[in-house]
Amino acid sequence: MSDKPNKLIENGKRLDGRNLDELRPIKMEVGVLKRADGSCYMELGGNKAIAAVYGPREVHPRHLQEATQVIIRYRYDMASFSVKERKRPGPDRRSIEISKVSREALAPVILKEYFPRSVIDIFVEILQADAGTRTVGINASSVALADAGIPMRGIVSSCAVGKVDGEIVLDLTGQEDNYGDADMPIAMTQDGKITLLQMDGNLTKEEFARAIELAKKGCKQIYEVQRSALISKYEGVSNV
Amino acid sequence: MKLVIPGDLLSDDIKRAGEGTYVASGEVYASVYGILDKKELRVIPLSGKYMPHTGDNVIGKVIDISFSNWIIDINSPYEALLHISEHPDRIYPFDMSQYLDIGDLFIAKVKDVDATMRVELTVEAFNPLRSGRIIQISHTRIPRVIGRGGSMINLLKKELDCNIFVGQNGRIWVNGKEDDTDLAIQTLLKIEQDSHTLGLTDLVRDMIKTAKRERKGK
Amino acid sequence: MSEDIIAEIKRDYIYNLAKKGKRVDGRAFDEYRSIEVETRLINNAEGSAKVKIGNTQVVVGVKIQPGKPFPDTPGQGAIITNAEFAPIASPSFEPGPPDENATELARVVDRGVRESGAIDLAKLCITEGENIWMVFIDVYVLDHDGNLVDASALGAIAALLTTKLPNVRYGLGTEDVPLPISDLPVAITAADIDGEILLDPSLDEELIASTLITIITGKDGSLAGIQKSGMGPLTFDQIFHITDLAYKRAKDIREKYLEIVDDQIGEEGKKD
Repeated sequence: MSDKPNKLIENGKRLDGRNLDELRPIKMEVGVLKRADGSCYMELGGNKAIAAVYGPREVHPRHLQEATQVIIRYRYDMASFSVKERKRPGPDRRSIEISKVSREALAPVILKEYFPRSVIDIFVEILQADAGTRTVGINASSVALADAGIPMRGIVSSCAVGKVDGEIVLDLTGQEDNYGDADMPIAMTQDGKITLLQMDGNLTKEEFARAIELAKKGCKQIYEVQRSALISKYEGVSNV
Repeated sequence: MKLVIPGDLLSDDIKRAGEGTYVASGEVYASVYGILDKKELRVIPLSGKYMPHTGDNVIGKVIDISFSNWIIDINSPYEALLHISEHPDRIYPFDMSQYLDIGDLFIAKVKDVDATMRVELTVEAFNPLRSGRIIQISHTRIPRVIGRGGSMINLLKKELDCNIFVGQNGRIWVNGKEDDTDLAIQTLLKIEQDSHTLGLTDLVRDMIKTAKRERKGK
Repeated sequence: MSEDIIAEIKRDYIYNLAKKGKRVDGRAFDEYRSIEVETRLINNAEGSAKVKIGNTQVVVGVKIQPGKPFPDTPGQGAIITNAEFAPIASPSFEPGPPDENATELARVVDRGVRESGAIDLAKLCITEGENIWMVFIDVYVLDHDGNLVDASALGAIAALLTTKLPNVRYGLGTEDVPLPISDLPVAITAADIDGEILLDPSLDEELIASTLITIITGKDGSLAGIQKSGMGPLTFDQIFHITDLAYKRAKDIREKYLEIVDDQIGEEGKKD
């Protein structure tokens, strides 16, 4: 990742061999933790993350309670060894911001009025980071929420799009993020409402519209993976 | 049986929308991850916390005593209250611990649940469960412990010669001879673990038979 | 709070079984739950391992970076061990800096590695008094179902066995070489439940145990670290009994899970 390569895209292919509109390989597994009420492990390219959901449960301290609905907390954390240069454990400005926007990406689908005066805690641990960790966290969390039996309007899916060597591409690698022109993580509900949108870099209005279209396509594919991960947890079970 | 996940379109017959579903733009969708019951148009969740409903039988545990209420853990995100006036006699607040003390487990019924999930309990008798043993399993497995038309629970009671009380909140009280109680608990944990296996009743019957044979052999 | 309630509800059951020489999951008192060790799962770490003991899961990552030596050991590398009780692992873990339990865990893991002499620190000196290798051992608990110490200690040594010094990255050589490892410490933890001694306690057993004790032994069977954790007292007879058990179990675990990893390093070394 040290030196900028001459070209990030050659003959319509990216350096890792992907097409412009192609996601990195994904692996997803539901119910990987025994103690959590719901959990999900996800790999996207070199990203490895676990999301766990606890709750609904009692709120401590009590003054944070809301009388008519559940509150949602989200904590995104990177393990110290998840990045090349050892990261000091614990929150920093970046992880605090990601936690906030990720919480806001998921909260709209949760049927919050079912659980007044309680809290749902979502915890994400990034074990290995390879660009796009916040989208992995949101995807895994959404599945972990379903696994925990939390009532929701639907699943939230997330991916990043961006601009690299003048082209709009899906699911940027670390290198593409570093040397590209724009990076735009998005999360959306399955009926196409955007719940997370961030962008840094430069895009024309026309590029932005194309990027959104590509993100829709990416999220649709992610949704299919989320869905089959949930279904396969009870695969072969005939008498539930 | 069909597994559904939140957001799955189930029907356009909104009048039939049951538990575990929601209605949006004239259609019924699944709100939880679980098994679709097409007849009732509801989704039976596979996980989740115990949410008390009026009329549920539960096993509660006294965690505190306030001026006029026993505060009860019912294995739910919500504590329940048992008011002093539930006692048939006129008792005084400072005597409350004589009837149910902190740490006591007892059988109760959910009397009322309001919109903010304040839960009130009632009891038939102020009897803490002093004999027997209590286990806790996931409340979502309770229907399997009971079985269709009570088939499983009747099998257990008959074969194991135990008193068994099943709380909707996942707590089960077993009272019988030591050996029988051990076997009953072992069996209940097995039901929890293998609750999705086909032919569970037969499996449990065999398990009890084998265990009994081994016991005689000793 | 609800964790305590579950433990209390199960307490009688566990006691009753223990009195009859049995455990809830059918294990013998000196038997471990199934153990799985997976190494090299974190590419960004210089060494890594994931250990499962029953439902308990920990990931250990080792990062190696150059740094300044401590003034009293100018010619030696440094070991810095940290443990994070990630809130994903238990309803009772809360976000925040390591509490006393996480700190104790980190220090016991550190003690085993350090006192057994597992890492040859003299070989981690780059320039005496100026530059040394710092070995960061970071333990992340993912799922807490009891006996975090043994899982973490096993994860630490397994991760160290796969660790390479990043010479190339820091311009200190033309190839990355394995971290010099000279012992394989293994921690064995026992719980006292009403006078009965049970190895590898599950969380339910831990919560009702009067005390836990961890014995760390090296390859030659000598003790490298001990930690008694909990209020309950132990008798001398109990301690000697546990030490004997620990030595035997540690030997099994070392042969089965660590010497395999060790061989892998050997083979890879040859390939290089």
